[in-house]
Amino acid sequence: MKKKAKNKSSASAGWKKLAPKSSRRPVTSAALRKRLSSSGKFFLLIIALGALGYGGWWLEKSTRSGSGTLDLTGPGVPISEVSFQTDGVLSEKWFHNWFGPLRGRSLMDLDIARLHRELLKEDQVASATISREFPETLSIEIRERQPILVLHLISDNEGMRKWLVSSDGTLYLGTGYPAKTVSLLPWLDVDRTLIKGREDGSGFERLEGVSSVAPLLDLVRREYPGIYRDWKVVSYERPDEDDPGAHVRVRSGKVRNLRFSPGNYAAQLKRLNYLLLEPDIRRRPSIHSIDLSHGRSVFAKL
Amino acid sequence: MSKIIGAVEIGTSKAKALVGEVTAEGGLSIVGMASRPNEGVRKGEIVDYRKAATAVHAALEEAEKMSGTTVDSVYLAQTGAHLRGQMLRGSASVSSSDNRVSVSDLERASKEAKRRQPETGRSYVHHIRTPIILDEKVVEDPVGMLGDKIDLGYWSIDGDDQAIRLALHVISNYSLEVADLILSSIASSTMMAGPDLRRAGTLVIDMGAGVTDLALYRQGYVAFTGVVPVGGDHVTGDLSMGLRILEPYAEKLKIEHGTASSRSSDDKEEVWIIGNKTIGDRSVPRKAISDVIHVRVVELFEIISKELGGLLDPDELKGGVLLTGGGSLLPGIEEIAGKVLGLPVRRASFPPGIAPELAQPENATVLGLLHYGLQDHGLPGRKAGESQTIMSKIAGLVGIGMN
Repeated sequence: MKKKAKNKSSASAGWKKLAPKSSRRPVTSAALRKRLSSSGKFFLLIIALGALGYGGWWLEKSTRSGSGTLDLTGPGVPISEVSFQTDGVLSEKWFHNWFGPLRGRSLMDLDIARLHRELLKEDQVASATISREFPETLSIEIRERQPILVLHLISDNEGMRKWLVSSDGTLYLGTGYPAKTVSLLPWLDVDRTLIKGREDGSGFERLEGVSSVAPLLDLVRREYPGIYRDWKVVSYERPDEDDPGAHVRVRSGKVRNLRFSPGNYAAQLKRLNYLLLEPDIRRRPSIHSIDLSHGRSVFAKL
Repeated sequence: MSKIIGAVEIGTSKAKALVGEVTAEGGLSIVGMASRPNEGVRKGEIVDYRKAATAVHAALEEAEKMSGTTVDSVYLAQTGAHLRGQMLRGSASVSSSDNRVSVSDLERASKEAKRRQPETGRSYVHHIRTPIILDEKVVEDPVGMLGDKIDLGYWSIDGDDQAIRLALHVISNYSLEVADLILSSIASSTMMAGPDLRRAGTLVIDMGAGVTDLALYRQGYVAFTGVVPVGGDHVTGDLSMGLRILEPYAEKLKIEHGTASSRSSDDKEEVWIIGNKTIGDRSVPRKAISDVIHVRVVELFEIISKELGGLLDPDELKGGVLLTGGGSLLPGIEEIAGKVLGLPVRRASFPPGIAPELAQPENATVLGLLHYGLQDHGLPGRKAGESQTIMSKIAGLVGIGMN
């Protein structure tokens, strides 16, 4: 008995459902020639389109030469996002305040080199990388100077101001630092004549001697944090390692006067730590001075 | 902008391909045609895929070459004893409150009619719409008319999936799409019987090599189609067996000396089989040839008569019987057909405008494929562009209707 299909749609009963979905290998030479001809025409079409596209590109390129900056974004694509990254305390908000409103400017409207120069004029910024991320993102990546000392300067106009001193001797006012961070930094005490203002009045020249002190502060903070916390004021005189009279002086809570010679701070700090652990010294609330600048000989005045 | 369309008939003796150019105004000109002997088909059905493909592809290639263009899709003729026709009827009530018939009413009736599914393993090849009846009155286009009930029917032909699939594979293997399958008898009868004859009622008999296709029209619409698995090859086979000669000689005798009935002058006339009177050649009485052919031809028309039965009503078939196809060229066949069928019979002639070299009875089907394919067979009120398939949409652009 023959079965009747009941639930199929009318369309499904037509011959079109029997049409082959993909044509099989040509069985005759005529079919093969037809297929090759069709494929050949298709490839010729692709090649023609490719050639047309290349021709257009070449023409555009040749007519564009010497016409100035290449604007890949096209006209009027405003910057919608600023990607700001830093290893310090500055924020994207700071950047926007510093830069001012973008006012619908596109990436290609910005002079990246100039922006880079302006950023480096900020003393807190050690280095900066600026890039365009098309179509509408400005990417800023900066590395900040880290403060190691605080310098109090009094001027007639502005009164007393705290300047932060980085390890390379750069003086800057510092933005975005928590008050506690600044309060824990030792003060710098140097001869006022060593501090020279810039000609354009935008701050001070770099303090050359700080680079000799920085390794000491870095080491003590890292290796002997207990000692570091007690340090109040750091000063230096002729801090050239080759100068026999060069020295670094530190005033701390317990030892009122510490003297280091520039160089081999690790050995000097080790001796200092050893001394401070001596029972006789530990018992005393304060020590008058310890001089570590004479090599293996340490002079302490109780 | 013109469109190139093709037509293919995978016949029992020959594969034929036609390339036509359809102009934007809907005009058609034949720009390429070719035929190749086909040994892959028996009685209208493919029995050797490779041989059939070789013949069809060669014909298509030559037709394309002749036209100087390439074809993307073709109308494909379908015939064979596997095809069966049945009348499907559907009806729908007029849905609008003012009883005005809309296109959607027609579509519902059409859907209802086509709901019946063919048996498993068979698929519909062709749906041919019959008259639309609005409240028991035949109307051409009922859209906008007032009425309660719409009835319409389809003479639907279904065929064996495997046979259809083989034919489709032959075409797709030549990197072509089949735009539509069209019944061979419908193609040839559309070509040979004009609208007036169809309205008057006509039976078109297309006598092919392997099968004989029938299409009977009443009041302008198809009332019956059929395929009788008897054709010219059977006559050739009978001659070969009856006269004990090889088939090629039998075919030659049939074409050169064959008649459907013997005449008194045939009694004494001898016909040479090979014709060159060399060693091995021999003569046979002409009457013997006619007698063998007569028996087979009478049998064929008796089968047709039996198949059609009461449909052979002279009152309904005022247009008579038209014979076409290669077999219709047999002298005296009209008289035999007339006697057996009891109707006036004549050879069909092509409408004017077709080149004489194309206007041969054996080309009726392939020419009719394009002729039928270019007509709109959709429901009244529906635009050609509303059809569903991409092919139909493309066809709509050039005025080809599909259903």
